Amino acid sequence: MGMTAAEKILARTSNLPEAKAGDIVYPRPDFVMIHDGVVRGAKEELDALGIHRVFDPERVLMVSDHDVVYVNDRAAARGAYNRKAAEAWGIKHFFDAGQGGHGHIFPTERGWVLPGTLYFDNDRHCTNAGGIGALAIRMGTEINRVLATGTNWTLVPKSVQLTIKGKMPHGVFARDLGFVIGKKLGPDGDFGVDIDYRVLEFAGELDQFSLAARISLCSTPTEMRAIGVFFPPSAAILEYAQVRAQRPFTPVYPDADARYEAKIEFDVSTLKPQVALPGGPHLAADLATVAGTPVSHTYVGSCGSGMYEDLEMAAGILKGRKLARGVRMIVVPGSEDSTRRMTREGLLDVFHDAGAMVIPAGCGPCASGRTGLIDDGENSISTAVANGRGRFGAKGAQLYLGSPATVAASAVTGCITDPREFL
Amino acid sequence: MRQTLARVFSVLSVFSVPSVAAFDFLKGYDMSSEFQWVLKGRCYKLGHDVWHAGGVVPNWIITGRHFDPQEIIPHLFEETDPGFHTRCKPGDIIVTGRNFGMGPKMNGYIAMQALGLGLICESMPFLAYRAAVGCGLRVLTDCVNVSEFCETGDELEVNFRDGFFINHTKDIRREYPPLPDALMEIVELGGNAGWLKHWQAQKQAGGAA
Repeated sequence: MGMTAAEKILARTSNLPEAKAGDIVYPRPDFVMIHDGVVRGAKEELDALGIHRVFDPERVLMVSDHDVVYVNDRAAARGAYNRKAAEAWGIKHFFDAGQGGHGHIFPTERGWVLPGTLYFDNDRHCTNAGGIGALAIRMGTEINRVLATGTNWTLVPKSVQLTIKGKMPHGVFARDLGFVIGKKLGPDGDFGVDIDYRVLEFAGELDQFSLAARISLCSTPTEMRAIGVFFPPSAAILEYAQVRAQRPFTPVYPDADARYEAKIEFDVSTLKPQVALPGGPHLAADLATVAGTPVSHTYVGSCGSGMYEDLEMAAGILKGRKLARGVRMIVVPGSEDSTRRMTREGLLDVFHDAGAMVIPAGCGPCASGRTGLIDDGENSISTAVANGRGRFGAKGAQLYLGSPATVAASAVTGCITDPREFL
Repeated sequence: MRQTLARVFSVLSVFSVPSVAAFDFLKGYDMSSEFQWVLKGRCYKLGHDVWHAGGVVPNWIITGRHFDPQEIIPHLFEETDPGFHTRCKPGDIIVTGRNFGMGPKMNGYIAMQALGLGLICESMPFLAYRAAVGCGLRVLTDCVNVSEFCETGDELEVNFRDGFFINHTKDIRREYPPLPDALMEIVELGGNAGWLKHWQAQKQAGGAA
């Protein structure tokens, strides 16, 4: 019997001929990532146990994305602690505030995350790795065991295969599809599958999805409790990876006779622009049902829409236009490399001319109310990964989600707007 | 015996017996220690779909990153059953319906472990289960329909190592999937922190690879 992509990646890194869903394995990941928000907790716990070294300082990426612009004393103290921790551990690849950017974006752009890679992360949105054909597994607070020993027990997940049929209509984007997939994966969703701790493996007509689109499609299943998302890498993506690879890599594809818990299909050819209603990214609704809802807070960025192409999508609509009166817009590039490219290619001017604020690369407002907050009674539309009550601060705000195009179109009109009017 | 247990539709049902890779660090660990795998106590029954935030501990315990058991204990089940911690006794067993502990948080399990309680669930999201094991809690999941076989206050006996469940009050016996062998050492050692402490001690003693 064949293996799924996740089984193959876990077999390779566990030095086993085969891994199958349900096995407990101890993989040796290609690297380990930890973000700025949890370094202190992990280091203090390990120090208390007398563990002062990490398993391999060259294979730990410390990224700074949750608190980049220190807006309070606590954030500044955390940043200072993290710098000392990086020194004490001898971390070679420490990306301090202002360097690197979003941990679930820039490592792909810089060739850390490659087809076939396995890495462990404290944060669940590491599932973005699936966009390029890699697997990353969230360890939560148990990242301390990984940092100390280089591995941790891992339950090989089951996989669910989702075959995409048809072509996405003009003006409908990956985030729109993601919200609908989230809805169908939900408790009473049409797909009828339990996605908890499963890998959602995409198949079918995937050539229409760029790397950025694939990464966008990773975020909503993650919110529905998928442990991973996987796209078999296309020739174009292999080429993208090859020119920036930090190490040799071997792409992984599922076997034709791999065991899936379920196989589902979805025809995308009649999809319309969507929003996710306040409460969760799976609360997909046709945009038309809420068109005209006034908004004052808009934001483009996050794990879900942090690639350069997402910024281009928003800029394409904002070019030559101004934000509506009373609307503020926060643009958060996924990487410092993207910020530099925006300068070179004129996107920075487009955003500034429209009246948007471009802040340093990182999570931005999506990191639970650290920057770009909202007030009670305000409405927001953004590309955040999640929109639970209070995500951007005030619990009385209404948080809608949309594609970068929808967010930009809405910022221009001051109300939730179908982006096709501007395309 | 473990191989014959019924398989159900959930994550942990796919735990297959070996093909588990050996983990060198803990070779020689004595699994025949005196750890108390059998709990005898009263049933405390909860329903389906209990969120960790609010349902197990108040959200401020989670967002405030409170991990000291003594801080958390007074607030365990506070929003649904104030004073629970004053009435429970070591050995009591929390029995839940499906989907217990949503939200991959650990604070409540820290308190349950410190109070000497056990937890058996019809199902848990995998990351909730992982968090419970990581806290060293005696926990079973995929216990199909278990909440139909007991009521709050019943006298229960549960062997977390073998998966045996006895309701002495109602004279009901069931077998459920036990804790996988690979995770027993973590629970025996008191959770992830205890495991790391042991690992470090082994390493310092020259016992680690």
